[in-house]
Amino acid sequence: MAELTAFSYIAGHSTLHRIDPRFKIISIIFLSLVSLNLYLRGLGLLTVLLLGVIFYARLPLASGFKELRYFLILLLLIFVARVLSTDETPLIYLKYITISIPGITNGILVCWRLVLIVILGFVFISTTPPSAIKAAVQWFLKPVPFIPEKKVALMMGLIMRFMPVILDQARETAQAQKARAVENRKNPVYRLSKFGFPLIRRTFERADDLVAAMEARAFTEHRTDPELTAGKKDWVALMVVCCLCVFVTIL
Amino acid sequence: MNIIEIENLSHRFADGTLGVDNISLNIRQGSFVVIAGLNGSGKTTLLRHLNGLLLPTSGTVRLAGISVERNLLQARQLVGMMFQDADSQIVGETVYEDVAFGPENLRLERDMVQNRVLMALRAVGLSTLAHQRPHLLSGGEKRRLAIAGILAMEPRVIVFDEPFSSMDYPGIKQILQQILVLHRSGHTIIVTTHDLEKIIAHADRLILMHGGKIVRDGKPAEIMADVEAFGVRKPCTFRMGLAAESWLN
Repeated sequence: MAELTAFSYIAGHSTLHRIDPRFKIISIIFLSLVSLNLYLRGLGLLTVLLLGVIFYARLPLASGFKELRYFLILLLLIFVARVLSTDETPLIYLKYITISIPGITNGILVCWRLVLIVILGFVFISTTPPSAIKAAVQWFLKPVPFIPEKKVALMMGLIMRFMPVILDQARETAQAQKARAVENRKNPVYRLSKFGFPLIRRTFERADDLVAAMEARAFTEHRTDPELTAGKKDWVALMVVCCLCVFVTIL
Repeated sequence: MNIIEIENLSHRFADGTLGVDNISLNIRQGSFVVIAGLNGSGKTTLLRHLNGLLLPTSGTVRLAGISVERNLLQARQLVGMMFQDADSQIVGETVYEDVAFGPENLRLERDMVQNRVLMALRAVGLSTLAHQRPHLLSGGEKRRLAIAGILAMEPRVIVFDEPFSSMDYPGIKQILQQILVLHRSGHTIIVTTHDLEKIIAHADRLILMHGGKIVRDGKPAEIMADVEAFGVRKPCTFRMGLAAESWLN
């Protein structure tokens, strides 16, 4: 369960917590797109500002990253791939492997940009209640034809709610099998099938229970709509983000 | 006045098994009924007809005089149901959102939804955990949250399906206390269990089920002698010839 505890909403009263989720989503899109084209100075400035925001909103960045340890492995692979695939004057040359200063710089920049986007996501998720994210997604999807925005929002909510439950179930199933020495079986297909089928069966059983529970509480698609109100502070925040995007681009 | 009237109710599942078999039963407004029986005796199947989660193969179920089949929405408002596995019942990503789920389905105005949520959270003592994520709650807190979700719909009947299963002693006492408060505030309470020990001291009626039928129905003290014949353990106090004692004492 710990894997999902820090990378999720953390109740608070900072300005960041109070900004309308639609404005936050637009800001994140702008900042992410801009950061893809930034270099050292721009990335440095954005990182410092983001860390300041995280400090101000008292968000646990360290535990967030602890949960993203597998993502950091992916970053390392991207870095190595970038370093090895940049053909410049070699700094080190070993048989077929060429390592150059531009390659290393290129690798660092790509990883930095990705980390920045992940931190933006972390700030967004940590300061926005799931219901507000759902409401914003519903609002954005409303004008899109052929997409049932209320259903999509509900599905999102249920996924967020049930992911920890399913992970718990997976952990319990794995432990029950370890207790019966499944580790002695070396065939991965055997182990996967013995783990996967009970987990899927239990997940479907839970889904059945969930349907009954929702029906018992008079579930309908035509529910009270979520409430979103944009105020002056939201527009000011968006303007600040826009100005920042322009500034770091020309820096 | 009878809040629930069941006439000749039978339910046959798709695989041909008979879940409940020709049951007729009236439940008085404000009463506290315990339905006991072995696993598979038809308790849950019977309960699920009360708010239309299952519809009768034959027979009728009426709530406050109106057929459940004819007005499913009213049935789901009138009868709140707490399931055995509270985890599967909680649909919100936070405690507040979960309690708001029912009132939002009733399309109440936003401020009305808020009022009901705050009232329900206060009633079960979870106000301080309104922004907590449900999967971080203890077993007892999850069940109280499930009760709050029901209370926010302002039902007249509350049905508890095995409310004490896999709970520790303090958790059982909390839930029992909550059930008694709800009963005192005028709700009709129906509890199913195969373990009478924890609840029977507070019930004014005991119904025994076996093989999908009602085999005994009466005051707990009057039919207690027969419970073990239908696979239900007689509570300790009754074994010793004493009166039932509450788990809250």
